[in-house]
Amino acid sequence: MFKNDERYWNIHQLNKWFAISSILFMASFVWMFFDDNDDEYKVYQRNFRQLEIQMAEAELAEELEAVKIERVSYEEKAQDAQNILDSKTHLADSLESRLVTLKGIFYKHNMDYQGQKSQIDALKYLVEKDNTHGVTHGDDHSVENRQTFENANILLHDYKLKKEATETDIDETELLIKEMNRAVKASTEDLNQVLADVQLVQNKLEKIDRKHMSFMNKVGDLVRDLPILDFMNPYYKVKQIVVPDIKYNVNFTQVPSVDRCTSCHLGITNPDFVDAAQPYRTHPNLDTFLSSASPHPMSDFGCTGCHSGRARGTSFVSAVHMPNSEEEKVRWEKEYDWEQMHHWLQPMLPTNYTEASCFKCHQKEAYINDADQLTLGLSLIEKSGCNGCHLIQRYQERRKAGPDLAKVSEKLDKNWTAKWIKAPRSFRHNTRMPHFFGQDNNSSPEMTKRNDTEIIAMVEYLFPDGKEVSTKNDHLFMGDAVNGEDLFNALGCRGCHIVEPDEKMISEDISIESILKDHGPNLIGLGSKGSAEWVYNWIKNPSEYWPGTRMPDLRLSDQEAKDITAYLRSFTNPDFEAMENIELDKNQLDKIAFGWLSKMNTEAFAKSSLANMSHDEKIDYVADKSFRYYGCFGCHNIPGYEDAKPIGTELTFEGSKPVDKLDFGYIHDIEHVNHAWFKRKLENPRIFDYGKESPAEDKLRMPNFGFSDIEVEALVTAILSFSEKEVSTKMLADQYVSDELVYEGRKLIKEFNCQGCHIIDDFGGQIVDVIGPPDLSPPNLNTQGRKTQPSWLFKFFNSPTTIRPNLQVRMPSFNMTDDQWNSIIRSFQYSDNQLLAYETDHSVSIDAKYKAGEKLASADFGACNNCHFYGATFPIQGAQAWAPNLAMAKDRLRADWIVDWLNDPMVIMPGTKMPAPFLPTPDLFEDDYAADIYGKHLIALDGDTTAMLEGIRDFIWDMKGQKDISGIVKNYFNENGYKFGEEESDDDEDEWDDEDEW
Amino acid sequence: MLQTIKDIIDILSAPTVSFTFLTVAFPFVFPPTDWFEKIHRKFGIWRLWTKPGFYGGMFAITFFFVVGYFDPNFHVTLTKADNFPIILMIYSMFITIWWSMYQAYLNDERLENGLKPNEYNDPDDKVLVWPDLVYIEFIALILFMVFLIVWSILVAAPLEEPANPAATPNPSKAPWYFLGLQEMLVYFDPWIAGIVFPMFIIIGMMAIPYMDINKKGDGYYSFKERRIGMFIFMYGWLVLWLFLIVIGTFFRGPNWNFFGPFEYWDAHKVVPLNNVNLSEYIWVKTLGTGLPANILIREGIGFLVLVAYMGILPILLAKSWLKNYFQEIGPVRYTFIMLFGLSMLALPIKMYMRWLFNLKYIIAIPEWFFNI
Repeated sequence: MFKNDERYWNIHQLNKWFAISSILFMASFVWMFFDDNDDEYKVYQRNFRQLEIQMAEAELAEELEAVKIERVSYEEKAQDAQNILDSKTHLADSLESRLVTLKGIFYKHNMDYQGQKSQIDALKYLVEKDNTHGVTHGDDHSVENRQTFENANILLHDYKLKKEATETDIDETELLIKEMNRAVKASTEDLNQVLADVQLVQNKLEKIDRKHMSFMNKVGDLVRDLPILDFMNPYYKVKQIVVPDIKYNVNFTQVPSVDRCTSCHLGITNPDFVDAAQPYRTHPNLDTFLSSASPHPMSDFGCTGCHSGRARGTSFVSAVHMPNSEEEKVRWEKEYDWEQMHHWLQPMLPTNYTEASCFKCHQKEAYINDADQLTLGLSLIEKSGCNGCHLIQRYQERRKAGPDLAKVSEKLDKNWTAKWIKAPRSFRHNTRMPHFFGQDNNSSPEMTKRNDTEIIAMVEYLFPDGKEVSTKNDHLFMGDAVNGEDLFNALGCRGCHIVEPDEKMISEDISIESILKDHGPNLIGLGSKGSAEWVYNWIKNPSEYWPGTRMPDLRLSDQEAKDITAYLRSFTNPDFEAMENIELDKNQLDKIAFGWLSKMNTEAFAKSSLANMSHDEKIDYVADKSFRYYGCFGCHNIPGYEDAKPIGTELTFEGSKPVDKLDFGYIHDIEHVNHAWFKRKLENPRIFDYGKESPAEDKLRMPNFGFSDIEVEALVTAILSFSEKEVSTKMLADQYVSDELVYEGRKLIKEFNCQGCHIIDDFGGQIVDVIGPPDLSPPNLNTQGRKTQPSWLFKFFNSPTTIRPNLQVRMPSFNMTDDQWNSIIRSFQYSDNQLLAYETDHSVSIDAKYKAGEKLASADFGACNNCHFYGATFPIQGAQAWAPNLAMAKDRLRADWIVDWLNDPMVIMPGTKMPAPFLPTPDLFEDDYAADIYGKHLIALDGDTTAMLEGIRDFIWDMKGQKDISGIVKNYFNENGYKFGEEESDDDEDEWDDEDEW
Repeated sequence: MLQTIKDIIDILSAPTVSFTFLTVAFPFVFPPTDWFEKIHRKFGIWRLWTKPGFYGGMFAITFFFVVGYFDPNFHVTLTKADNFPIILMIYSMFITIWWSMYQAYLNDERLENGLKPNEYNDPDDKVLVWPDLVYIEFIALILFMVFLIVWSILVAAPLEEPANPAATPNPSKAPWYFLGLQEMLVYFDPWIAGIVFPMFIIIGMMAIPYMDINKKGDGYYSFKERRIGMFIFMYGWLVLWLFLIVIGTFFRGPNWNFFGPFEYWDAHKVVPLNNVNLSEYIWVKTLGTGLPANILIREGIGFLVLVAYMGILPILLAKSWLKNYFQEIGPVRYTFIMLFGLSMLALPIKMYMRWLFNLKYIIAIPEWFFNI
């Protein structure tokens, strides 16, 4: 070895340094282990375990308290049984020792038997070989072999008997022991039964709480979570749900989503944690989500399928939670050191917008259940015509959002139109027509001049013949405005329209219900717009002016139309009238034309082209460029632009657009997340032009719709829903609906605002607010699919007749195709699980059942004729109580349904005045005069409810008489007037009286 | 006041200014000739390599980072986990260079006084490979492991989400050790900046012992005895490599635009890029005609410049200014020294031609993917 003096360095010094560095290394190594094993989710899991223990202990105390008294007697019984058993110790011991001995003997016999059996198997082989092969060479042992085999079999049999004898002995002894213990066992079982719930909680505690564990389990519980050893079966571990049908896109390939959210959200499916602090809190809607009985079980849908975020993240930050608000963000930054992982393309949807995910699978629904905000957003997209300019492949424009402008010159005059285009909300404060002009990026005087010129050019194009609307014939088309108002309120106009001149009266609280009533425009200012002649003609027959309109025909008489016209024309807008007319600026016209010309051509060409244009040509050119620039044809039919391409950005996958593809311009006081951008854009569509020097042709041009905060949030939700995240086909909700027509029907119901008047699928019917009593409002269409015969319904839709004679409100005539009516009928049928188009006719035989029914319907009992028309026979009671013509039932209704209806009308149509018919119970028949009162047929049915209801049904079914009573009813009201509203208080009293009779 | 300093630093750190400043100042810090040495002494620059110089340097660097830490804009770049090694690099480079220069200067003084270098007088500074050196290295290794572990615990690795071809980060930066190369790519085609230059750097460094036959300064620190060699090496190492890494780390922002350390990284910033090829200078701007169709005629001047620079210039030098040197080392060594030296020099030359004349390529044949 080396001698110390051979070294230049002091080895002791180096040893010291080696020691120090080794200790440091060891320390850093340990630190590394701790750091590596102390994951955030483990902290949450430890805390959750404490929470579970606390809850279990509380539960245990509760359960113990519950059985406190009951258990005493059972415990005593158990103790008594034990005492008796203890007194027989001697006997028990001897039985036990006998059993031990017997088992020993059995062991020996069994071994002998098994051994002999294997010997026999070998011998058997030898014998069998001898049997088949014969003797080939050498000595013949076959006789000898057979002899050995047979001897061995005898011995085996001997062993078997011995074995079986011992077995019997054992069984007998065991039975004796069991008999002796029976009482103890039974009483213990009884006690356990009482303590079952306690035991359950105790078992749970033994699993989770070390205090309740045995020593070995304590050690095991500690060891299982030690570093490295925790690869086997740790308590604290990442929990994950693999969802094969929801894919995560990792560029070029799709992988199943692996959701680890439940590593921290440990109580998410457990209803006990409703009030627990996050992350342990129960999901707020277990009926719809996560629970195995819900339509979205957790094992099939996971978490990020709806919430997005980084599925594999196991910490607050790495799961890419996203805050709802600035305050939440600040709080998160403080509590969780939150920061956004900005490269993650699918950050979690803030809970405000979670509904956006529903659309991935529910694309065809008109209304998405439990997703009102999303439904509102999607509805607003249609109403505002967003998809007229922005292509959304999965939510395409079904019809233009604005009116047809082909014949606009018949309706309006130029000045009005120009002023309207410039500032529509100054005429109608809540119009959906957006503001293109006077916005942040085009309100400079120079831009205003330019825009005015563009407006005039567009108006000139829309009024090609120069004809002006005249109001001089107005008096010919106007009747009594007061009566007009009554009609407007009564006939059903308010199903779709409001008349509200005061901006402040419009509720900010917009919802899918509230938009039902402004399906059509707010009908104000009509006295300052167009002519009475046009209004009159329009309400008389809307599709004549605009063949594609959704406005139905209410079959107004000439006088009715005149009265309503007078009422609507009584609203004027003097401020709007007083506004200065918009002027065209020739210099601007040249400038605009030159700007567009030189954008596509050389400047020299542009100059010469402009010089060769006449004034009218310039106007046409500028109008054309303006239409194409502003995209007016996105919402309006404008002749010549039928095939024009929409001008907006495609929004098909807008919700998945990376945030760096959104131009934030010079706006810095905004979060760099897509929803913040969408929100700002919708609030002020020109905001991102702020500070930019763009030529007029390149400025942002999305118009300002004046959306309220609620509308903006709903629209942002809808835009976020247009995501490219893929789910497999089996996840799509439409896979579970057998017929495409169902969706189409529901969309038509929404599009034509049927729910403005009717309750369909438990939604709608807001007109009742205007009309008052539900029984005088359009009917609830609950069970419509199994209520009416599809062929009748189809005829009715095409040509409505009077069904409920007491209603003044009218079912309008809609201008729909056979396809569309079929879809609507199919959607009704689907809702009621009745999909047959053709059914066997129900035939009625005049038998006892029928006769009983006739009796029940007669004036003695049901007195149907009190309210119902029997063909042309008027009901006995006054017009307000009138009910449908029963002679129509055979053509109109389905036989099964009538029975259901009669059984309990309130279930099918809540609020109906139709009472359930009186059905006698058998005990009533014991009365002496029963035969006189009830008749033999009714008594024969012996209280069979179904038979009695069927009897009434058959009676109605067989009723003869006039089916369409529209004319009769109309004549009656023409003669007597329709004045229920004024007598309301009296009627109420009558109703009470009526009910007393029942 | 502080804002003014920041503004000045922003202006000074523009590559044109800072690179020029470094290039001009460099010979006064590492003086290669007597004349520079005279000024080096006269203005007291030599004090940098004394203990006060060390404290001053450390203070200046620290001051810069501390001010930067409290500046909202520089804070963002400075505190990125990716940039932590650069901060370490700046400190470690200063410390190691100062340490060697400090000792070199001490030795130079001794040598001047006729004494032997410090290393010869101090047997304690000698080690045996076994066990001393191996033991010390082993301890150093352990301590370094401790450092790496603690670093990795305290500063989370800047791992990001899966790359997405549709959403590339702006700016997209190479790992820190390649930022010098990325900076070169601004001035050269990838095949030069990404392949030829790195190869030359590696081969050139391997060739140094064969090209530099100066026997003095072996086994001890000394500056004076090999000042030209050290000057050239240090210029290549500090200015052409490390400084480019610093630029790439701290001064390159969105769209690879240049930003001063205290400037806001505004993605909207636009810098005009009207770069012109040498052939366009000749044919279009000077002769006023279009570009000739024949590629070789078109790029003829460029080829001439290249041949003149790499071929004729060394011969002229060998005949005039470097005559003695050429005779001393012989034609083979001379050729290689010129090849590597001129290639290295080509980088700053090209940078200046870009900055001064917007010169894009000397030879531009995109048809053959051949641009210089």
